[in-house]
Amino acid sequence: MTPQATEALLGRDGFSRLADAALDADLGGAVAGVEVLLQREAGGLTRFANSQIHQNVWREDLSANVRVVTDDGRVGVASVHTDDPAVVASTARQAAGIARLSPPDPTFPGLAPMAKAGDVEVDEATLTSTPQHRAEAVRTLLAEVDERYEAAGTYRTQADEIGVFNTEGQRSYAPRSSAALTLVVTGGSSSGWAEDGGRSRSDIDPAAAGRRAVEKVRAGEDPIDVEAGQWTVVLEPPAVGTLAAYLAYMAFGGRDYLENRSYAAGRLGEQVADARVSLTDDPRSPHAGGYPVDYEGTPTTRVELLAGGELRSVVHDRNTAKQAGTESTGNALPAPNTYGPMALYPMLAPGDGGSTADLVAGCERGLLITRFHYTNVLHQKETTATGMTRDGTFLIEDGKVTRAVRNLRFTQSLMAALAQVEAVGSETAFAGEGFEYGCRQPALRIAGFAFTGTTSFG
Amino acid sequence: MKDLAQLALDEAVAAGAGYADARAVLEEGESLSVQDDRVEGVERSATRGVGVRVLVDGSWGFAGTARLDREQILAASRRAVAIAKASATAQRRAVRLAPVQIATGSYTTPHGTDPFDVGIDDKLELLLAAAAAAHGEPKLSLAKASFDAWRTTKWFVSSEGADLQQTLLQLAGGVECIAVGDGEVQVRSYPNSFRGYCATGGWEDILALDLVAKAQQHAEQAVALLDAPDLPPQTGTLVLDANQVALQIHESVGHPLELDRILGYETAYAGTSWVGIGDVGSLRYGSDHVNLTVDTTTDKGLGTYGWDDEGVPAGRHPLVVDGVLRDFLTSRETAPYVDDQTRSNGTMRADSWGTIPLIRMTNINLEPGSGSLEQLLDEAGDGVYMSTNKSWSIDDKRLNFQFGCEVAYDIRGGKLGKLYRNPTYTGRTPVFWGSCDGVAGPQHWQVYGTPNCGKGEPVQVARVSHGAAPARFRDVQMGVR
Repeated sequence: MTPQATEALLGRDGFSRLADAALDADLGGAVAGVEVLLQREAGGLTRFANSQIHQNVWREDLSANVRVVTDDGRVGVASVHTDDPAVVASTARQAAGIARLSPPDPTFPGLAPMAKAGDVEVDEATLTSTPQHRAEAVRTLLAEVDERYEAAGTYRTQADEIGVFNTEGQRSYAPRSSAALTLVVTGGSSSGWAEDGGRSRSDIDPAAAGRRAVEKVRAGEDPIDVEAGQWTVVLEPPAVGTLAAYLAYMAFGGRDYLENRSYAAGRLGEQVADARVSLTDDPRSPHAGGYPVDYEGTPTTRVELLAGGELRSVVHDRNTAKQAGTESTGNALPAPNTYGPMALYPMLAPGDGGSTADLVAGCERGLLITRFHYTNVLHQKETTATGMTRDGTFLIEDGKVTRAVRNLRFTQSLMAALAQVEAVGSETAFAGEGFEYGCRQPALRIAGFAFTGTTSFG
Repeated sequence: MKDLAQLALDEAVAAGAGYADARAVLEEGESLSVQDDRVEGVERSATRGVGVRVLVDGSWGFAGTARLDREQILAASRRAVAIAKASATAQRRAVRLAPVQIATGSYTTPHGTDPFDVGIDDKLELLLAAAAAAHGEPKLSLAKASFDAWRTTKWFVSSEGADLQQTLLQLAGGVECIAVGDGEVQVRSYPNSFRGYCATGGWEDILALDLVAKAQQHAEQAVALLDAPDLPPQTGTLVLDANQVALQIHESVGHPLELDRILGYETAYAGTSWVGIGDVGSLRYGSDHVNLTVDTTTDKGLGTYGWDDEGVPAGRHPLVVDGVLRDFLTSRETAPYVDDQTRSNGTMRADSWGTIPLIRMTNINLEPGSGSLEQLLDEAGDGVYMSTNKSWSIDDKRLNFQFGCEVAYDIRGGKLGKLYRNPTYTGRTPVFWGSCDGVAGPQHWQVYGTPNCGKGEPVQVARVSHGAAPARFRDVQMGVR
């Protein structure tokens, strides 16, 4: 890396100094293991509304999460935000004290063994982005928005680092870069959405995003009411991102699976979705935003959740893997974790359905959905969720978008929706809604998607 | 820590800020979780840092850092000024701040026993006993119990002369009883869902919950729900328990009355509002029974403090009086948009040293009506009673909402009857509040914490509260699946 990019990071040496302060600390008594999770986040976010920058922030945070395991299996965790090795050592002593106050945990699987995690793609220009660069990007997109409309959104650039060090010899460190743009353009009776993002700021084209959002807001003017009920829908990638994220939460966690609370419980190997549907969790993909290592030091992997519509697997951390008699898939969250493992980057595989326009062309009567809003779980085991459409909902008639429609509320089993997929788009686009930084998704055409309510605006 | 805030402030002014404020914040946290007879997690945390906010030529800049040596703090201040200058390159209207009485002083949350002074072993003993009591119901699958505490000390200084120190004590505790059946999972939470009781105060408030005594009753309800029918689709009278009224206030009153949202500041993320800035004094938000306040002095409220994060003093302000809109939640930047005489009503909060203050809900309360819950049910005729939130969703203008609750009962002849599972209801905000024809009296009024309110980008999570009593609504669509 260039000197400038190196300065934007604390680096492996800086992380090692902090971690070793905990690993080498005198923790008193019999200690079986120590794990130090270090995370640094440094980044700027320029926020605009009413077509001007109104909030513009930068933040650098460095946290150390120390887990101590005693000889008799007691576990304690303490965390601190600091760049001072002495404070990290003191936090390790606090974690040891907490462990000794806790009863033994017979389910504790031990710390992650030494394993090479590798790297993910890092973009130096993104690491060193300045407020001036972010402001320039915002001005560029605002230039695409004529005075009839207002623009609001964010432009974010981020330089993150993770390190997981433990007394089993694991010493993983990785930087990552990310950038994202979100944009809503609003008019008198409509609004339009566009987003871009990825591991590099070069993944973002502010002018093109501005044009897409303006196109949506124009097409959305004077929306009409349509009846709630079952509709064929074409979901654009941002809407598919919401669907994938909620499915990951409701169906594919190893802990809920083991506790029989998940849709997947008892269904591994079953054909649960249309054969066109394949879903993977792949944090280290160039099309995702994850790290090469999870939050307890296991290398992340590509996990097939659905393959050709068949429910292939759930994700595990070390704890649930031990209970299931398998290996961790590298999906641990930071300790102590009461939620269990999580698929943070669930991505639908693109299909052979062509462009979004092609998916629309194959629909006799339906709705084109740009994105969903405020989705929430109604019934986890059935994967039923509810939410609203937003920022561009359109009527499809005879294979063409004919009118804008007012927003609707859906109440739908998401896994049942995947069983009714008619076509999967061949192209992918960035979808930011998710657990960390989002990933790329294709568009989908789905039959019989259930809407249960309407509202009075588009 | 105050010296660090002052250092940041002085450097920001020296670097060219026309206005600046700095917050030094130390937040200590403790989180304990048990499941059945096993401790799932014990964690103590501490985060400290300095955030500096500046105005240069009417544009904002902000920088925050957890690296607390002198050079890093000076660099953060200079960075905030540079950011503000970059903001000014895409500016339409310069920020103007409403005046505020410059304050100096300190505030500490009223409490008995500081929860951080109670041993972790004592707390775990209570949680394990509560989980064990839940398993007094032999068909229960999982029993979870949890305790959380946050002690936040913050120092605020501004270029106008404010000099404030506050220590806020917030805590949470509760039990979650989970019954797993064939294709069905049912949960009953005590005293509320999403980490239970959440409030400001001391350890004595957790002991007063009597978690052990209440656990088995809720476990029995969870198991009974497995065999109960789903609430059938219907339109009729709905009586909501106070804990669900609290979330109804949160989503359909608190958020839409945030003035930054009304002005479009949150358009791209959480959305806007169905309410307009010109609606004050004329918009009928609800029936005559609906009186709502923003009150940063509410006893036990998570939004109770001495001053907000702009140094505006705590106070109580009506939002809706006899069903008519009277005010918004405001800040120093947004209040002048109402009129030149309007001052902030003190709702600006940041969730850490590293984030800017935003308008947050603090404590948004439905004022109590009169009479008992029994009278509310008596006058209901036939209807449905729902308790304890399970799911929430509302559109980006805060009009079309849908909620799910943990439990529902038929109301027949003024009495609670048949049990139903997976109850939901849906509606539109002004129609729903307009259909309110009764709010129970002060004897049923309680403050409920909502510890997971998200807003802003980067997302900030605020702990807020809502005072509420059971309330009755007519012609509500229920049983949406």
